[in-house]
Amino acid sequence: MPMLHRRLLLGASAAAFLASVAPAGAEPAKGEPIYLGVSGPLTGPNAQYGAQWKMGFDLALDEINADGGIKGRPLAYVFEDTQSDPRQSVAVAQKFVADRKIVAELGDFASPASMAASPIYQKAKLVQFGFTNSHPDFTKGGDYMWSNSVSQADEQPLSAAYAVKRLGLKRIAVLHLNTDWGRTSKDLFVKAAKEYGAEVVATEGYLPDEKDFRSTLVRVRDARPDGLMLISYYSDAALISRQVRQAGIKLPIVAASSVYSPKLIELGGDAVEGLFTASRYFPDDPRPQVRDFVTKFRAKYGKEPDAFNAYAYDTIVLMAQVMREFGADRKSIHDGLAKVKDVPSIIFGKASFDTATRRVAGAMNVDLVVKDGRFTLWEGGAAVR
Amino acid sequence: MSSMLQVRGLTRRFGGLTAVAAVDLDVAEHEFVSIIGPNGAGKTTLFNLVTGLDEADAGKVSLEGRDVTGLSPDRLAALRVARTFQHGRVFANLTVLDNVLVGAHVRFRSVRPAWPGPLSLLDPVVELALALVRPGKVKAEEARMREEALQILARFGERLLPRKDNPAYSLSYANRRRVEIGRALALGPRLLMLDEPTAGMNQTETAEMQSLIGDLKKTGLTILLIEHKLDMVMQLSDRVVVMDEGHVIANGKPADVRNDPKVIDAYLGHRRTDRPPVAEAAE
Amino acid sequence: MASWIDYTVNGIVIGNIYALLAVGLALIFGVSRLINFAHGSVYVVGAYAGFLAVTQLGTPLPVTIVLVVAVGALLGLGIERFGLRPLQGYAHIAPLLATIGISFVLDQLVQLSFSPDPRALPSSLLDTRFQVGSGTIGALDLLIGGIGLASAALLYWFLRYTKLGWAVRATAQDRDAARQMGVDVDAVHRTVFAIASGLGAVSGLLVGMYYNYIDPAMSFQATLKGVVAQVVGGVGNVPGAIAGSLLLGLVESYGIALFGTSYRNLFAFILLVIVLVLRPNGLFASRRQTPPEPMTGTFIAPSKPLNVPPKVLLGIAGLAALVPLVFPHPYLMQTLINAWLYALLGLSLTLIAGTVGLVSLGHAALLAIGGYTSALLALNFGVPVGLAILSAGLFTALLGTVLVFPSFRLRGHYLSIATLAIGEIVSLVILNWESVTRGPIGVSGIPSLSLFGIELDTDRSVYWFTLAVMVVLAALQFRLLGSHLGRVLRAVRDDDVAARSYGIRLDRYKGLAFATGSFAAGVSGAITSHIYSYINHETFNAQLSILALTIVILGGMGNVTGAIVGSVLLVGLPEVFRVAAEYRVLIYGLVLLLLVRFRPQGIMGTV
Repeated sequence: MPMLHRRLLLGASAAAFLASVAPAGAEPAKGEPIYLGVSGPLTGPNAQYGAQWKMGFDLALDEINADGGIKGRPLAYVFEDTQSDPRQSVAVAQKFVADRKIVAELGDFASPASMAASPIYQKAKLVQFGFTNSHPDFTKGGDYMWSNSVSQADEQPLSAAYAVKRLGLKRIAVLHLNTDWGRTSKDLFVKAAKEYGAEVVATEGYLPDEKDFRSTLVRVRDARPDGLMLISYYSDAALISRQVRQAGIKLPIVAASSVYSPKLIELGGDAVEGLFTASRYFPDDPRPQVRDFVTKFRAKYGKEPDAFNAYAYDTIVLMAQVMREFGADRKSIHDGLAKVKDVPSIIFGKASFDTATRRVAGAMNVDLVVKDGRFTLWEGGAAVR
Repeated sequence: MSSMLQVRGLTRRFGGLTAVAAVDLDVAEHEFVSIIGPNGAGKTTLFNLVTGLDEADAGKVSLEGRDVTGLSPDRLAALRVARTFQHGRVFANLTVLDNVLVGAHVRFRSVRPAWPGPLSLLDPVVELALALVRPGKVKAEEARMREEALQILARFGERLLPRKDNPAYSLSYANRRRVEIGRALALGPRLLMLDEPTAGMNQTETAEMQSLIGDLKKTGLTILLIEHKLDMVMQLSDRVVVMDEGHVIANGKPADVRNDPKVIDAYLGHRRTDRPPVAEAAE
Repeated sequence: MASWIDYTVNGIVIGNIYALLAVGLALIFGVSRLINFAHGSVYVVGAYAGFLAVTQLGTPLPVTIVLVVAVGALLGLGIERFGLRPLQGYAHIAPLLATIGISFVLDQLVQLSFSPDPRALPSSLLDTRFQVGSGTIGALDLLIGGIGLASAALLYWFLRYTKLGWAVRATAQDRDAARQMGVDVDAVHRTVFAIASGLGAVSGLLVGMYYNYIDPAMSFQATLKGVVAQVVGGVGNVPGAIAGSLLLGLVESYGIALFGTSYRNLFAFILLVIVLVLRPNGLFASRRQTPPEPMTGTFIAPSKPLNVPPKVLLGIAGLAALVPLVFPHPYLMQTLINAWLYALLGLSLTLIAGTVGLVSLGHAALLAIGGYTSALLALNFGVPVGLAILSAGLFTALLGTVLVFPSFRLRGHYLSIATLAIGEIVSLVILNWESVTRGPIGVSGIPSLSLFGIELDTDRSVYWFTLAVMVVLAALQFRLLGSHLGRVLRAVRDDDVAARSYGIRLDRYKGLAFATGSFAAGVSGAITSHIYSYINHETFNAQLSILALTIVILGGMGNVTGAIVGSVLLVGLPEVFRVAAEYRVLIYGLVLLLLVRFRPQGIMGTV
């Protein structure tokens, strides 16, 4: 398949390039790899997100291993397909904890799958790093449950502040994915929006595979909002935006940071022009580590990175740093997570864990708007369309 | 002799077609009545109406003086009416013995509780419990029923008994028809309704079946038979009823009916070839 | 209110889209009496073929359409020739399962070729939009409607006025008679599949353009909605399929208008169940039809089961019990625990679908009812876990039977579709009834397994507990099958007309069997929820229902040992073959196809 070859070629040349510009004295890692276990969807309805993870992981690993790996040993991962099904994530958990080569676990994609497996990881004292699990109860599973996923409790107030305080929306209609993530986020958004003085005039929950929103939008329109808030992933946000324009609704659209992806633009086309969203980073972000990340990602894969790629990348970088500083065995990683400070991070700038919640506080936040088919910094100005 | 089956004005229409047109029929206890007629005369439909498989548009059916019009087939079975089917319907994946035992279902008393009034809602639960626990009475009944079933199979000589544990689908067509009759007998019927039991059988098989049915008649069983083989009909029947296009066109002793001009006309008139009706009787 | 015009227009627009799918399904059903679950996959292939044409070849729209129709027709011919023709004469369940297997294979092939990422499918039509009510419709809406009408008209002309069309209609009415009259029934099948699949592929293209969105996972929804529309209108009835689609679109639209978006699918499936129960021939069925003659022994492939003597079975159970002592690997035990839980589900379905012949496609709903009941009893009312599990089993038996009861009068495919719809309804009710089930957020913190106050917190204890429950229920099921009641249930399956005629009340025994089977499924779901400590509406999803059916077919319908063997294989083998992760579902579909084709009686034989 041509795409695969192209990627391998790019990957190989990128690796060669990096190896050639590695600082003097740093040799590529070799020897027996250190393994991270990844529990996530390679097939099934969430397979596309698993694919994004892999891209982020691979990019990070290229750099880390070119730079000497973990004290000379390469870092690698073993990806077991769970389809984000709790039944399978539990079986995979057993497999990982029994495999002494695995020093930490990453994933699962969906909180139900992760939470079902938590008891196993906790008992076996293997770190379960649910880097996309924003369910408020996830880290409560035990002191081996960690996450750098921005908790919705932090994120939604940011979105609400953007929508209400900065864009000046007063009557908001919210469309949200009817999943545990979508629901929790919606509740938190609504609460924050009300605190900032806006009214939420409609909330409509839809199923992940929904494609037709026309009648939903009639309902929304009848509530007479002055703006729409989408708590969605990029696919559904694109679908909704297109149908909003087709329905002749000219209201501003604000979306959660989970829509941040080149796919949003590809699938949404003209309809997402002028869409407002927040993100932890954006293509023209001046931060050097973001520039670095975006450039390398483009070089390796030929497209722009999205939120899932960034999280996956960040997670590997974080794990590598913990291992380098504190040791690459199960206990050291667990202890190291509590102690590690200021890990360079796309999402957070500098990441440190709050040991009480086992999450990272202080996510970076940039307000963005889609202009001319790209994510650009929002320069102020009212929300008009 | 008292009346076993009484049918009055039974009618069934399918759209524009009247399959059964105001049919009257009487079958007395111990009587052997045959129903004959050209294909499409409504004979099987009549059977279906009497046994409750189909719903009549008009008319009344009484069994031993009691109105059974519109009762479901399982109720008719409980009233000891057994029937066989025109194309043979055995339980393909059940063994021969099991087929016969299912026929005796209404006689399994111990496994099928019938609690009074509102408690009858619990019947299925109790039935399940009895099937799982199997107290002495249940076991004894099962053994008894098996014995009886084996005896029924024995009526067919060496045809069925050596094959009692074979699944019905593995049997020859003739054997499957025999199993059907065995199943009907297991019900302990007061009225036995046979729908073309010898259809598709050769001369030897037909003769065997005829002999068997003759034996059943000798036991005093009331029998209602649909058949095309006129020899058999004439030899076995006490009375013959002739149907054509939904109507009863003749009803009387075999010899009378055979010479009835209306009957001959019906057969001649519906034939597509020029073979006379006599040839059919020689089948 | 002006909005009602908009809702109506929207309903018709989406109904148009459903119609494209429903017409193809109706054609196929009319001739082969088959619900083609692979239709959605043809739809996906069509969409991607169109994607390739538009993005790689840059073809103009009319050429793209022709290309896509050709691809679809070829695919349809392939499916008919290699997937379905070899199954002629097999039990009716076989083609149904074959199409499910084919859909798995096709979907996975598309995903492996194109990645699971959704793609944009740009439409080359002008962007003009026409004001209708306060919304707009665009050129693509009109095109879809136009193609829908045109195909309907073309089909009508074809069926009425051409020789081949007459042959198709004759075959639809009575295949054997048609064959006797010299109709080349095989040619008819080929033609119909080609036409229907061509239409299905084009629908994929058009809908992909309409939403500017295609992805490999869209086939299931497409098939589902198409089937609903078709059944509502009247299976096998082309004008009925169109009318049914429009009705479905309107019902969904008004449902959203009145209750909100999350109720959309609920209305669709409730409509389906109502139609099935009140007018199984569909709302637009032509004449008052005579009740269809039931087919003898339709769902079972006759075979002699492999008889394993009870002593051997006990021995194997004993060996299984020794596993935690001899091979105490947590991974092995976890896999086997999963296997025992699936085996309970398998026992349940093999009794209901195998022994009694009610082929249920929505069995996962029973797991969900059991899981939620037990979880909520333990969490909200502090009921001890052991008692909660037992109560959940009983409640599932009761509720499951009540829900299914109205559909007992249905036969064959209709019953299966009804169970599918009821299963989806249960899942949607769980999603929406937030005050009880906490909606999508799910129930967390479910107390873990404990019996008489003793916590079962080691792998071993959980293993032994689930093994014990499974063995006990399997033993009871054996006992049931060996009793007169077992005979009666199998008689109901083999020929319910004869069964009725011998005093067997169908509703009573179907209900009894369903309740008994549901108990096992409820218990399985309940144990699962206490092991996982967290469940939500997606934990017990439609894929599980298909997995359960595959286990039962693999083991042998009605065969208790078979259900257990099937579960161990279908749970254990994927764990062994974890290396081929991305190919797993593909292999799974192939296994299903091969089984159905070459060994429909399963490994242990049907009982």
